[in-house]
Formats: sequence, structure tokens, C-alpha cells
Amino acid sequence: MKPFSFSKSDKVSKALSAKKEAVQFLAGGTNLVDLMKKNIAVPDGLIDITAVLSDKVEAQSGSTRIGAMVRNSALATDPQILAKNPLVAKAVLAGASPQIRNMASTAGNLLQRTRCPYFYETSTPCNKRKPGSGCSALHGEQRMSAIIGYNDACVAVHPSDLCIALAALGASVNVTDKGNKQLVIPFKDFHKLPESTPDLDNHLPKDAIITSVDIPDNPFNKHFAYVKLRDRDSYAFALVSVAAALDLDGTRIKEARLASGGVAHKPWRWQKAEQYLKGKEANAATFHAAAAIVADEVKPLPGNGFKKVMLMGAIETALQHCLTA
Amino acid sequence: MGLFNTKNKAAGKPDGRVEGIAKVTGAGKYAAEYKVDNMCHAVFAGSTIAAGTIKSIYLDNAKQVEGVLDIITHLNKPAVPGFASETKLKETRFGLPLFHTDKVYFRNQPVAMVVADTLENATYAASLIEFTYQEDTPTVDFKKAHPSVPLKMQGKERGSLDAWSNAPQVVDQQYDIAAEVHNPMEMHATIAHWTADDKLVLYDKTQGVVNVQRTIAKIFEIPQENIEVFSEFVGGGFGSGLRVWTNGVGAVMAAKAVKRPVKLMLTRSQMFSLTGYRPAAWQRVKLGADNDGKFLGIHHQGKNGTSVFEPFQEGITSITRMVYNFDNLKAEQSIVPLNLGTPTWMRGPGDCTGAFAVECAIDELSYQLNMDPVALRLKNFAITHDPENKKPYSSNFIDECITKGAEMIDWKQRKQQPGALTEGDWKIGYGVAVGMWGAGRGNASAGITMEKDGTMTVKTAMTDIGTGTGTAMQNMTHTFTGMPKDKIKIALGHSTLPTAGSQGGSTGLSSISGAVSAVCDALKKQLADYAAAINPAYKDAKPADVLLSATGVSLKTDKNEFVSLADIWQKNNLTDISVKASSGPGAERQQYAFCCSTAHFVKVRVNTKTGKVKVERAICVADGGTIVNEKPAANQISGAIVGGIGMALMEEIHADEKLGNLVGNDLAGYHFAVNADAPIIEVAFINKPDPYVNPSGAKGLGEVGIIGCAPAIANAIYNATGKRLRDLPITPDKVLV
Ligand SMILES: Cc1cc2nc3c(=O)[nH]c(=O)nc-3n(C[C@H](O)[C@H](O)[C@H](O)COP(=O)(O)OP(=O)(O)OC[C@H]3O[C@@H](n4cnc5c(N)ncnc54)[C@H](O)[C@@H]3O)c2cc1C
Repeated sequence: MKPFSFSKSDKVSKALSAKKEAVQFLAGGTNLVDLMKKNIAVPDGLIDITAVLSDKVEAQSGSTRIGAMVRNSALATDPQILAKNPLVAKAVLAGASPQIRNMASTAGNLLQRTRCPYFYETSTPCNKRKPGSGCSALHGEQRMSAIIGYNDACVAVHPSDLCIALAALGASVNVTDKGNKQLVIPFKDFHKLPESTPDLDNHLPKDAIITSVDIPDNPFNKHFAYVKLRDRDSYAFALVSVAAALDLDGTRIKEARLASGGVAHKPWRWQKAEQYLKGKEANAATFHAAAAIVADEVKPLPGNGFKKVMLMGAIETALQHCLTA
Repeated sequence: MGLFNTKNKAAGKPDGRVEGIAKVTGAGKYAAEYKVDNMCHAVFAGSTIAAGTIKSIYLDNAKQVEGVLDIITHLNKPAVPGFASETKLKETRFGLPLFHTDKVYFRNQPVAMVVADTLENATYAASLIEFTYQEDTPTVDFKKAHPSVPLKMQGKERGSLDAWSNAPQVVDQQYDIAAEVHNPMEMHATIAHWTADDKLVLYDKTQGVVNVQRTIAKIFEIPQENIEVFSEFVGGGFGSGLRVWTNGVGAVMAAKAVKRPVKLMLTRSQMFSLTGYRPAAWQRVKLGADNDGKFLGIHHQGKNGTSVFEPFQEGITSITRMVYNFDNLKAEQSIVPLNLGTPTWMRGPGDCTGAFAVECAIDELSYQLNMDPVALRLKNFAITHDPENKKPYSSNFIDECITKGAEMIDWKQRKQQPGALTEGDWKIGYGVAVGMWGAGRGNASAGITMEKDGTMTVKTAMTDIGTGTGTAMQNMTHTFTGMPKDKIKIALGHSTLPTAGSQGGSTGLSSISGAVSAVCDALKKQLADYAAAINPAYKDAKPADVLLSATGVSLKTDKNEFVSLADIWQKNNLTDISVKASSGPGAERQQYAFCCSTAHFVKVRVNTKTGKVKVERAICVADGGTIVNEKPAANQISGAIVGGIGMALMEEIHADEKLGNLVGNDLAGYHFAVNADAPIIEVAFINKPDPYVNPSGAKGLGEVGIIGCAPAIANAIYNATGKRLRDLPITPDKVLV
């Protein structure tokens, strides 16, 4: 990889003042270092921020706050998370491997780059890696590509599992920008679609730092499921994944949450289906109808038509699991 | 039923591996881990097109990187005598001569090599080399390319196709298999050190040190005995270590160029292109039978991919000649050149591919006949004789394997009607298939050095690629001499040790067991001669009469005649005793046919909503002759089954049709089976000695474990769902759509 400078920071403000376009923050390094080895990320310098950000899960009034440096493995076993937001733990445990989760941070997980195979192969065109060079996946291998929200510039998907649960639960991202101003970005607005700038995955302001993620208190800690379909049972990214959660009044659905990974450039909420589920009886027919609403919305590419059927199956399965979990 | 067949008393309590502690503590050294003074590093830059010609190379940026010692391309490559002419090149059997052409035949073909003081500098500099190419359109899609390649007769036709053209029962289907890669844990690496102008020391990841000596000697035209090769620990091979690849030749070239020892280790993604793979294959099997299920004939056609510069043909149709009795067989094959690296043998090569088509076709026939697929196979097995050459099998227990396997899985639970067993969204099915592999044996030598305290070191040049060769040698030495195992040390994988062939084709144990037996006899004879100076009872003792213990020797007579090692040493004024012996196959190879076999049984669950296939039980009963050590033997089989699950359900490497790059060429993108994909694999052995194969009666197990596994899974998926899937891997999308 390209030679780079390395420094360790001990304060958010110091880390921010050292941050420049060509200098990147380093958390667990499980994504960034891989990208550097492949010459996909070529920073001049790294600032180790593991000491400057909270690694604690804390109860706030009305929400749970996850420090940006809470490691994925700690998140998945945290008693507050398990009690109040067990869907998050499920999603995290469906991702990567224990070794990677031990290193991976919460903020890093939000900012991990796509796993589109062409993004990883530097000798091929990729608008996300090299703006303007073209999209190889558009006419290439599309097994891991999007089925909604894509355009000709980019058909890549966001690879995270954690983020699907966070999207479903309506989390928000706490950010401090380069000028030390604190911002709150709702999760649905954090990641973006490719539009004309597929090289940008999200709306994090330039050179800003994520300090924590908040999950509002919610009634979704009893009936929830995370279903991840993939080419092997562990250590693989999702073909499609579904985070589902129901708030039930007897057998009637008061409110539903439904989000998917592996389908779009950002974690995708199925709002129409959520609306449909509201007030319905929780049974197989309802779940099938909700899945059909989703299926109507997606437009698979020539190479991933199967994802539509698979997604329907995953949604029905996840909703069914909500009743038995 | 656990991992081990506990009823099998003869096999004894499983032992750990002789090299186990060294491996798990990191004390064992793999090729890239040796420290050599003044060593520097070489890194390949690969082509970024799949077909074309190099137009220009721009090295200036790369040369400016600190520590760069040399950059080798086809324009400035050092002279390599073995690459000097077509004829010489053929003799080396190396394939595409490294840096000897401006042509590009596949993506990631090494087109430059940076040699630098550190790995980091070499890697960085390699990334800065710029090429311009004249690009041609690559051909990489096997499925699109193969229909235009004609078939050729493969071997002699047995009987005639016409003889069964009116067979009442016919199955005629086509089967596809995607290319798979070996990618053993340890990446291919070589450290090359020229210790004189014509003397070379190599630390190499290989399955055969002698093959490395021979190949490098031919390429660089130095005497074979001037090349010393170390490969003491090998982190897996699966066939990828049976050839010398570019890392070996590149390291030797670089070391010559910079006059320093050079290490060259492939990156994980280079492993996908530069160390072979199991090529994609297409097959058509037409199987005819009478209404009772007696096979009348098979017409087996097969094609496999290869590179455009080297023909590699898989023995796809060989297994069709071995397992079943029938009178008429026609086999045809051909190879399909593609802009990819050259494929090579991968675990169960050829037979694994062929068995998928044949064992699925037989399953299809069983449903057509409404006959139990176990019964159908039992009816057609060729047990006593090799159906091709009519020689009697030295031993063949494939019928016992299938009967025992059926018992273990409780085959009665299976329903003949597909889709009959359901649990919610899950459908449950059972499948069976068998595998067979010729039980070979090569020439091998072994030596023993014994010290005064009784410690003996048994040595051979053969490598242990994780198969448990060393452990088996310890066990056999114990059995042949009586010496307690803790007194028996093992030395392997070094070319100065007594010579032996590569570890491949399941011949390792079979070959070495003869050598170990012979060298144990030699030692006993030698000890008896020395003991005779103390006790005349030893005068004409035969090796079979002599027994060793930790402290001395004795005779298998009533009087025992114990003589201590201490006395032997003193009386004969010894420092140590060294013996060597060789052994190999003999006349038995003319008289008998030799095979090992497996029966695979699986139970799968298939989710009708998500397409998920879960292998719930996997059972393998194997006939490998004598099981010398049950633990590594079962290990071989369970590892092979994990490979079989991968082959059946997920393993697939393919190239982008236009760009020619391998898609997902890392271990996150290439899906091989992990623990979560495999159940506890249930292994049982027939464990009956083969009377003729070699002195130990062991027939070898490495290859046969995977052969038949994938079709058993495909057959189980059919039994569960009624959906016949003939295109591996059977990923969830194929199950669903
Ligand atoms: C083989 C493999 C398999 C995987 N499988 C899965 C999977 O199945 N599901 C899944 O969800 N994930 C998976 N992952 C991804 C893994 O979860 C991410 O790599 C990890 O979460 C990234 O966290 P990190 O702390 O290591 O980030 P880093 O690699 O350190 O950083 C990633 C990016 O985030 C930036 N960054 C980090 N922290 C901050 C911050 N506080 N503020 C601003 N910027 C910041 C960095 O500058 C960098 O650009 C896998 C990874 C690997 C290597």
C-alpha cells in the first residue's frame, strides 16, 4: 500500500483539527485497512480515534445511546441492548465473523463501503471508486447488486447488517463537524442513493466525526426477527436481509417495522408494507400480502431476478419469526 | 453416532498428530516463515486485461520507490535456459514461461516482478507500474464456449452403443459444474537462495519436494541434486501443490538477478489465478437399463475448461469404467480453451466431476423405475472384478459401505415419493451416492536413525500436507517394530531425506507404508546382527522374529533373549544406527485392480420460501483398507465432505464475461463451506486390510472422501423437493426460481 503517516488522537476536537480530505479516521480498521491494501483507499495519513470516542452503551431519557467506538461484539451482548433493542444484537451477530466483530466499531459499521466485486477490482471501471469511469456491474455480475433505488451510475448495495436494524428502529446519528458543531442526522437521511454522486455513500459532512448513535425507546423488543439470506451460513454478505418487528395487541398488529439489506445503496425501509401491516391480523395471509407489496416495488436487474422471490420469502419468514421469537 | 466408529476396536484409541503441538504453537515453520540472512522480497504485478499484447511499460514511478532493487519484465528478463526453446520448455512441463512473452492470456498473468528490500516497498512499487495494452476480446465463459468444441473418443469403446439403443429405461441428461478453487490456508510461497552459481536452496510450499527439484533443475539447467528443498510443514494443498507455479520460478529468477535470497509469496487474490483450480465442466450422461434396473450401457460425454496456452484434461469419464458392471460403454471428452489460468488436479480430480453426473443419472433412473437407489446400486456394483480390465479387485467393499451407510442414516425414514416429508416451510429429503478412486502406490524410500537411548527418527522426503502422513508413519513404525510411540520421531519434507514422490492421488500413505515396513525390517536386521555379537541366538534371526522395546531387543521366542540397547551400543562401539530402504509396487499390480471407495448419505432440509438448503446429516462410510490411525483418517474424510458441501451448494469462481476478471477473488467473496454450513460429519470405516496393495493394507483416503458427496446432496434435494437440479453449485436462487 501507499506509505502514510499515523497518529493517535485523545480528544474529539484534536482529531477534528487534524482531519483533512486525504487523512482518514481509523477505528477498528477492518474495512479501511483492507481497502488500503487493495489501493482503493489511498490516504496520506490515518488518525487513530479509538481513544477519543465512547465505547459505552448508555441509557438516555427516551433513548439508548451507543458510543461510536462500541465494538460490534460488545454491542451484540450488551444487557441494555438485549433488553431494549434485541433486534440490533440479532443483526450484528448475523454479520462478519467473531474476530471481525471484536474489532469493528459502531461508526465504522455505518461507514463501511460496498462489497460490489467491481469496487474491489481496481482494474475495472467503477463510478464509486473512480467517478466517471463507468459501472461494470450494470452489465456484469449482479448477484450482489441492488433491486431498488439504483441508477445507471451505480447498482451497488450497502453491505451492513447492523444498519438494517438501526433503520428499522428509526435511529439517529450524532455527528460533530469540522467546526465542532454537533448535528443529529436521522438514520433514514444518513445513507444516500447513488444519484449523480455514487462515490459518496452518505450525508456525513466532510471531515466530520460520528460520536454516537441513538435508538429511541420503542415497543419492538418482543416480536422481532432478522433474517439474512446468503450463499453460506456465516461469513458472507447478504443476498437479501430483512429486519422485521411487530408491536402486537393480541393478534392484531399495532405497528410494524420492515427494512432490508442487500437491496439498495442504503438500508431500505419498506414503508408501504409497514403501513399495510398496521391494524391487520398477524397471520400468514397478512404477511404474504405485505411481501407482495414489497415485491411490487422492486425492479431487479437482468442478473438478479431471483432476489425478488427471495426477498418475498425472507419477509414472510421474518414476520412469521416475529410471532415465535 | 459420533465422529468415530466406537465399535471398531481394531483401530485403537485415536492418537493426536505427531506435528500437532508444533502446528498450534507456531513452532512449525511453513515455507514463507524461514529466516534467511540478507533476504529480500519479490512481488508480481498482474495483467489488467485477459487477452492481448503489452504495448508499453512505464517503470519510472515504481523505480523511485525506496528499496527497489530490480524490476523484471519480458523486456529485461534474465536468461532462463529451460525457457530458451519450445523443446526445452516442453521438457520442463512448466506451462507459460514467466516473463518470456509480450502476450497476455489471462487476467492477473504476472507481467512484471518488483524485487525490493521489504515486502511493503515491493508491493507499493508493483502498484505503480503502468502498462498499456492492445486488448483482444477474451473468451472466459465456459458455458458459452463449450458447445462449439467437438468431442473426441476417450479410451476404448466397450461393447457398443447400438446394443442398448432399445433399452426400456433410459435417462439422458446434461450436468454442469462451476469452476472451483483450492485456496489452501497457506498461500503458495517460495524462498530461493543461490548458495553458489549452480547450487540452490528452496523453501517452498509444495506437495512434493522431489517434483520441485526436478522442475527447477530442468528450468535453470542445474543438477537436480544441487537443489535442496524444504517443505517441512504444509498448510493444505488439495492438489494445488502438485505443480511448480510462477512463485517458485519467479523467486529463483529474482534471486539470481539481485544475487540475494528472495521470498515470493502470492497474495490471496493471486492464488485464484496462479495456482490452478478445478475447471468448469459440462457432461451428458445417457444411461440405459432394463425394467429390473440392470444397467445395459452408459454413454458419457464430458468437457472441461482449460487455459489457452496449456491443455489440461480432467479424467471426467474414468470413474464410469470402475464402479458398475455393464457391457456397453462409450466415453467422449474434450477441452475448452479459455482466457484463464491453467486448471489443475483438485481433490478427487476428474472422478469427483464425473461422479456428479453418473451418480445423479443413476438416482434419476431409480425414480423412473420406482426403485430404492441403494438397491439399484447394489444390483449393479462390480464387486469382484474391475469391469474394464477384468482383473480381480484386490479388495472392494463398496457394497458394505453402502449397506452400513444406509443403516447409519436410518434409510427407512426416506420416502420414495419426492416432497413427502415436510416441516413448516422446510422440506426434508435423503440422498445417496458413491465414490471410487484407484488405490495407487508409488516408489518410496525411508530411513531410520536410532540413538542409544532408543529414540528413533523415521525419515522421508515426502511432505505431510495435513493428511497425517507423519502420524501414520509413527503408528506403522510402532506396529512393525514394537517400539513405543513416544520414542519414534518423524522427519519429513526435505529433499536430502530418503526420496519419495509427491503427496497426491491418495498414494502417499500407500507408498510410504512399503518404505516404512522395509526400513523397519532393515533396522531389525541390523540390530539383530549387532545383538548376535552378544547373544548368538540372534545369528540368523529374521526381521519378523525381532521385537524392539524402549530399552532393547528381544526375539519372539519362549526365551525372549533380551539384549539391551546399552549393551549393543557398547559392544559394537556405536554412536548411532542408520538404515535406509526403498519399496514400491510389484507384480501384484499386473494381477489385481485396486480401489478405495465411499458411500455418502445425506439428509437435507430445503426451505421452500427462502431457497436455503441445510445439510442436516452427512454420513460417509469409507473403504480405505487398513485404517492406520483413525483420527487423521476421519479428519481426511470429514474435510472432504466439507469440500463436497461447498461443491454442491456454494463454490463457484467465474470471470466477468467482458472484462475477464475473476469476480469475488478473495475468501469473503468466494464461498467455501464454513463450520456453520456443515453438520457434525459422521464417518465410519470398513477397516479391512487390503491383502495385496502394500505391507500395511492401507489403500488411501484423501481423494475418495469428496467423490460422490455433491451428487448425494443434489439427490437429497430432489428427494426433498421433486426438483432435479443439474447445475452446481445449487445456490438458493436455483432452488427458488
Ligand atoms: C470479511 C468481512 C466480512 C464482513 N461481513 C460483514 C457482514 O456480514 N455484515 C456487516 O454488517 N459487516 C460485515 N463486515 C464489515 C464490518 O462490519 C466493517 O468492516 C466494520 O463494521 C467497520 O468498522 P471498523 O471500526 O473496523 O471501521 P474502519 O475500517 O476503521 O473504518 C471504516 C470507515 O469509517 C470511518 N470511520 C470510522 N469511525 C469513524 C467515526 N467515528 N467518525 C467518522 N468516520 C469514521 C473510517 O475513516 C473509514 O473510512 C465484514 C468485514 C469483513 C472484512
